[in-house]
Amino acid sequence: MIINTQSLVLLLLCLTGLVVACSSPQPNTQLQDKHPSQGDLGVKPLMCSDCHDAQDQAFSWEQFNHTAFFPTQHRLQANQHQQLCSMCHQRNFCSDCHATRVELKPSLKNQSETFRQMPHRGDYLSRHRIDARIDPTSCFRCHGNPQTAKNCVKCHG
Amino acid sequence: MHTCCGSYSRLLLRTIYAQALVLAIFSFSFAADFNVTSETLFRSFERDTKSGSDELVLPGYEYLKLDVDRITNQSLSFHAYGWVRHDFSDSSYYPEESDGELIYAYLEYAGPKHNQSLRLGRQHVFSGVANDALDGLSFTSDLGDLFSVSAYGGLPVGLADTAGQSGDVLWGGRLAHHYRSFYNIGLSYQKVDNDDSAVTSKVGIDSAFLLPMNVGLYGNSVRNMETEGWAEHVYWLHLLVGNFSIRPYYEMFEYDDYFDAGALSGGPFASLAHSGETLDSLGLDLSWQQSPDWTFGAKAKSYSYEVNETSNFLSLSATWSGDYLTRVGGELGKMKGDAADNDYLLVRLFFYLDHLADKLWVDFVSGDGLYTGYDQEIYGQDYAYFASLGAGKTFIDDALQIKLSADYSKDPYFDNDLRSMLTVTCRFGAGQ
Repeated sequence: MIINTQSLVLLLLCLTGLVVACSSPQPNTQLQDKHPSQGDLGVKPLMCSDCHDAQDQAFSWEQFNHTAFFPTQHRLQANQHQQLCSMCHQRNFCSDCHATRVELKPSLKNQSETFRQMPHRGDYLSRHRIDARIDPTSCFRCHGNPQTAKNCVKCHG
Repeated sequence: MHTCCGSYSRLLLRTIYAQALVLAIFSFSFAADFNVTSETLFRSFERDTKSGSDELVLPGYEYLKLDVDRITNQSLSFHAYGWVRHDFSDSSYYPEESDGELIYAYLEYAGPKHNQSLRLGRQHVFSGVANDALDGLSFTSDLGDLFSVSAYGGLPVGLADTAGQSGDVLWGGRLAHHYRSFYNIGLSYQKVDNDDSAVTSKVGIDSAFLLPMNVGLYGNSVRNMETEGWAEHVYWLHLLVGNFSIRPYYEMFEYDDYFDAGALSGGPFASLAHSGETLDSLGLDLSWQQSPDWTFGAKAKSYSYEVNETSNFLSLSATWSGDYLTRVGGELGKMKGDAADNDYLLVRLFFYLDHLADKLWVDFVSGDGLYTGYDQEIYGQDYAYFASLGAGKTFIDDALQIKLSADYSKDPYFDNDLRSMLTVTCRFGAGQ
């Protein structure tokens, strides 16, 4: 196996980085059970980075800012930092969307909560034929196994 | 298949009530925190069914959530959540008069250090390439300051309907390396067997890097080990510049690898697994918090394909935020591409007025309006309207909440569809 000089330098840099990382003191990342509620923080809605540094030693807080796009973009954040989500959201919060069988779509079950950006709002039955042609991967993510595809099978077979 | 959903629902109800009884005894015996949330929904609408047209349908739903914390000590807890539905009308709208689902029910041990968690029972696992419900065991823990690990295994709930759960196995795990907030890299693997034959096995890499100038680079890639091809690559940058949040991104999906789920490829997705299609998307999400009250957003996304014709989506939004959950806003979106039957215009206006108890009898009122205009007719109609109104009030220190909503739609599938819903939420327990 031939290792050229560039690969060797890169390997040494990675190893040096790992040694430095392992020997550096780490911030405490053991999270609290509960985050103060919005009522405790004031009457105005806040983003994470309004109180926390956008990036501090423990977390890159700006990536958790609940912008209007967060509901469709939280996969990685929830995946890598589930315990941070659970400081504010109860366990069943995720299950309105992420469950094996959801007979009532989230925007219907929580219809009066219009401030939440929820998928499939209103007349989605008509529009889904277009969105599914354009990007079926977004459908498959939630409707891709035999149980969750039951809603599709009624019409599509 | 569940051949007798009525019996299934009754069994489910009995199971939940039995668990509630056992845990109530537990909670009183060991001074645990016992919390129950009951959400009861009554809906009404009309549908054409096998037995006639404009038949009244009156489904009632019960969503029950149990949380028992500090069983015997601070670390042990039990959590369950499920729903049942019964149609109180004589319509034959639903295949079964009653139905239900146990969404999760697990015992959890949370260790005092290292973010340790051990869960036993029905649960939903989000871990790298996993986004699945299983009846089994999962474990997560930090390994020192620089590594964390998760592992899970059990019977996949999503495959229970295909010849039962015998021979079905789902297992996998994720190993992550992270250094402060500078980076977090995870390598995950998942394998699913159905009736003793492999359905899927995939590996994934998820990563988050903090670059100079407060720029974050995030993304994930998934490789289908059965087809030996990359199923998806999704990567984005996140920049905070003043009050602007900027997120440019790139997505790539290989349909043959993404949709191939072995023997389980079915329904509308089956043909996509052999389409030879590739979807490449470029997009930009922009959010501007102009003031504490006003937030503006813009979204642009282009879709290009190996086989299909391209499409582009653009939307603009504005939201005014008042006190608490009060919001008033709107969104305007347009999908436009080479295929006219994919083009539509979307307009949404909404409001949610919170903390009205001083001015009105109710605590909140909400409304939603949606218009969609289709460039090509769907079932002879090129538009759709949707409107909803809602109101709610809480009683007994928020332990009881009653919400009423009604919605109306006129669209290619339904003429003058009027529906209503009453939601009664009751919370009991020490944590409420």
